[in-house]
Amino acid sequence: MTTVEVSNISKRYGADQVLNDVSLSVASGETLVLFGPSGAGKTVLLRVLSGLVQNDSGAVFIDGQDMCDVEAEHRGIGMAFQNFALFPHMSAFANIASPLDARRDSPEAIKTGVHTVASLLKIDHVLEHAPKALSNGQKQRTALARALVGSPPLLLLDDPLRNVDAKLRFEMRLELPRLLANQGATVIYVTQDYKEAMALGDRIAVLAAGQLVQLGTPADIYLKPANLNIARLFGDPVINVFDVSGRRDEQGVYIELSSVRLRLDESMAACVDKDCVLGIRPESIQFCGSDTAGAIPILIETETPLNEKTVTLALTTGKREILISRPSSTTAPDSGQSHIVINADKALLFDKHSGQRIAADHCV
Amino acid sequence: MEHTGTLERILRAVALTLVVVFFMFPILWIFLMSFQTNETILRVPPSMVFEPTLANYKALITGKLETNAASIEINFLRNLWNSVFLSVTSVSLALLLGVPAAYAFARHKFKGSEDIAFTLLSFKFAPPLLVLLPLSLYFQKMGLADTYIGLIWVYQLICLPLILWIVRGYFEDISPDIEYAYRIAGHSWFATFRKIALPLAGPGIAAAGLLAFIFAWNNFIFALVLASADKQPVTVGALAFVTASGIQYGQIAAAVVMSITPTLALALYAQRYLVEGLSLGAVKG
Amino acid sequence: MSDHILSLSGVDKFYGRVNQGVHAVKKLDMDVRSGEIVALLGSSGCGKTSTLRMIAGFEEVSRGVITLGGQTINRLPPVRRGVAMAFEGYSLYPPLSVRDNIAFALKSSSYSATQISDKVNEIASMLEITDILDRYPSSISGGQQQRASLGRALIRDAKLHLLDEPMGQLEPQLRALLRGRIKHFIKTRGLTAILVTHDQAEANALADRIAVMEDGTLQQLDTPEAIKDRPANLFAGTFIGEPPMNVFTAQVTVSDSHVHFSLPDDVTFTFETMDFSPAVLDAIRHRTHLVLGVRPYAVRRAPSGVSATVAVNQWLGDQSHIAADFAGSSIVLVEHDRAPVSRGESIQLHIDPANLHLFDHTNGRAMSHGPNLAI
Repeated sequence: MTTVEVSNISKRYGADQVLNDVSLSVASGETLVLFGPSGAGKTVLLRVLSGLVQNDSGAVFIDGQDMCDVEAEHRGIGMAFQNFALFPHMSAFANIASPLDARRDSPEAIKTGVHTVASLLKIDHVLEHAPKALSNGQKQRTALARALVGSPPLLLLDDPLRNVDAKLRFEMRLELPRLLANQGATVIYVTQDYKEAMALGDRIAVLAAGQLVQLGTPADIYLKPANLNIARLFGDPVINVFDVSGRRDEQGVYIELSSVRLRLDESMAACVDKDCVLGIRPESIQFCGSDTAGAIPILIETETPLNEKTVTLALTTGKREILISRPSSTTAPDSGQSHIVINADKALLFDKHSGQRIAADHCV
Repeated sequence: MEHTGTLERILRAVALTLVVVFFMFPILWIFLMSFQTNETILRVPPSMVFEPTLANYKALITGKLETNAASIEINFLRNLWNSVFLSVTSVSLALLLGVPAAYAFARHKFKGSEDIAFTLLSFKFAPPLLVLLPLSLYFQKMGLADTYIGLIWVYQLICLPLILWIVRGYFEDISPDIEYAYRIAGHSWFATFRKIALPLAGPGIAAAGLLAFIFAWNNFIFALVLASADKQPVTVGALAFVTASGIQYGQIAAAVVMSITPTLALALYAQRYLVEGLSLGAVKG
Repeated sequence: MSDHILSLSGVDKFYGRVNQGVHAVKKLDMDVRSGEIVALLGSSGCGKTSTLRMIAGFEEVSRGVITLGGQTINRLPPVRRGVAMAFEGYSLYPPLSVRDNIAFALKSSSYSATQISDKVNEIASMLEITDILDRYPSSISGGQQQRASLGRALIRDAKLHLLDEPMGQLEPQLRALLRGRIKHFIKTRGLTAILVTHDQAEANALADRIAVMEDGTLQQLDTPEAIKDRPANLFAGTFIGEPPMNVFTAQVTVSDSHVHFSLPDDVTFTFETMDFSPAVLDAIRHRTHLVLGVRPYAVRRAPSGVSATVAVNQWLGDQSHIAADFAGSSIVLVEHDRAPVSRGESIQLHIDPANLHLFDHTNGRAMSHGPNLAI
């Protein structure tokens, strides 16, 4: 069991500040996901942790020990790479065995070790193959087996599912937590896929432009994103956004959408008389009849099924586009004119200028 | 569709044959010449029909060149041995120095690394005559003139830039992640260089070594100026056949055949490495 | 014939010599109606791109006939086919701005300059590239290049629009919105489009009908709903739908009152015979083994049923994906809310027989879907 402490890491490539004062800590046995769009600095941070890239300032502690002078091969980590990085001139067996080779295990121990992890990952039948002869899925599993075989206390997984097809990615997403739980290792997992992040992470660290912008559980980040950008990165279809401004009447705080008043909780009072952005996730909108209280009239343009959901693209009376998602098994609304009702509890409000979420804790 | 296919195949075969004839004819002609006497070579019109003779090869091997005027001593086998020795040693030394340097240039971008690499390459651009005069003066002062060490040193001007630049490209083509993965698995950087970088760049190193060998073998001017008869390679040694009593075409042809045979054999043997080297892109998949 | 704008009959594609080279497309019969969006769906090497290229005229047809608007086009050069195409790779002309790239094909048309400019602006705002219209391809991102390339194809008046992996590089945040807009655009203008993709989600979202291809052979050509509800075979069944269909090989026994499906680890699904039609019962009565398929959303947690142990429960914000250890392997279920189950918990599973797909275990062909016999 291993803890990781990253403190004030910065890294610059020429004029490019790829990491800017990033600090975070990972608890023993935890799976932390580093999430962000490409260029956010996730991979560089992972490489700083592994010792493959030198940081300009700050420090990395593994189990409380400063890693400053510890070479990559002595940090006791297992790592899987986005492009698999298999050794092309060695068989799958030799690839997987390389960490055991390095610590000079006996040939019998190496054989047992490799076969155990290979059967766990269902690649024991292709161990004699060269990487070239493996399918993409098998390559990916071989790379994973190589990272796991030495039972390293710290696993760094750099977007390992990026280069496999959708079906395999889905299977591995369900399989990985089991594998990782059996290992008992502390895991740092890099991805740009929000579903992977939510599915695999105990906590998610969201990076943007080299900075840590939010660190929290998947629920924290999905339900209480720190800012509009994070809200837009999580969720498919993407969250609907509307420019609104907060108002107050005798009944409390409200905003207006297509001349329908949406009552907000008093905790969002900070939005009053301010330019705001309303964010509503497509699944927080329901179709309803015209007589429902708070019904907003819409004009349906088109429906596109998305996995087990159906996404409706519609126009509000102000000609603003809105995406509505519903389970595919529920009944479809009539085409053309329809009505929707918005679940105000799930509405998110952001400051239009800073993009920060407006919530109770921001109130004066 | 099938018709165009057939026509295409015929045209392609014809084109290929023309190319082969164009490139192979001189070699074939030299080969035929080496079995003829000067008289049959020089007759007009030339003819493919002649009585083959081994006299030319005999002259080369025994070291006695019989011309119509006199019998001259030549030491062609000595020249051949010099060529082999100089080329092999130069290329070995260049590989020993050049491959680690190429790795450093490929993997560690430091300030001025590009400039240094380019400076090394620029040695190849400079006309040899430019450096020869000062060099021969230096060599005489340092006692390096007419020594194997001196020649091998000068041959580095030919071999080192070639190896450095070709091998560097091959190292750069290896995804750094593959080396990182080996490091992370617990191996030192030197083990990574030996077990990952070297084998993966192997075809490239072989190709570069082969090219360097051919360039070294074919070198003429350095050896002409800096070495005396007993250290000269075949390229210079062949001058001996231009005698006062005429040019000994037959012997020249035999000498050429004997001197191109090693490089030709090497090239044919190493062909598959060259091809393998070019398909290195598979590493990335 | 009249309502079919495009029709392929008995189309074969060989790379190399006919009957000897690589057989990329095998005896393909397909009709596309006017105003329809058809997706060619399959993994790489399934023949979908070869098919598209034959329709566009970039590949020769080895055998068979392709007609467009009633005219055989086998030997017609691409420019004379009246087909617009968006390419997978970004094929924008580097020296032209995004605006000029999109307007390129209209330059030689009868449209006036203002008409062209209006059309470009309309397409650009649909594809969210208005702000980069005056930039050059080299200075914009991959996703933007792909949108520009899509715009260049959609702006043309063509009998047929061919879209080769049109959204693979698209920014995830824009994907759902653009799918909606593009579908609306194509539908409101009555365009006919063929879309090539390996992404079943994209095919489902955009297409009226999907042609599922594998190994050069058309597996099924039908509406997304029909393929989901009545897959022709195991391949189509597992290729369409995310998460993919759960499949189990089962031993089958049919008694007078019940149908039993025995899975490994002593797991047995028991249904009443009246859940199946007599035809289905006849078809399975003499079988020993079958492949059972059930879609993840059709597996329900219930107070009683077959028990399984939760291995993972992954909440994705709007869906929960649960994998449970079951019958020696695992079963996946999807719920639309945050499911309150955790690792190690025992759950009871119920499957509505109406959602059960039965496949022949030797050739994978579908035998029945729920109570009905597969056709």
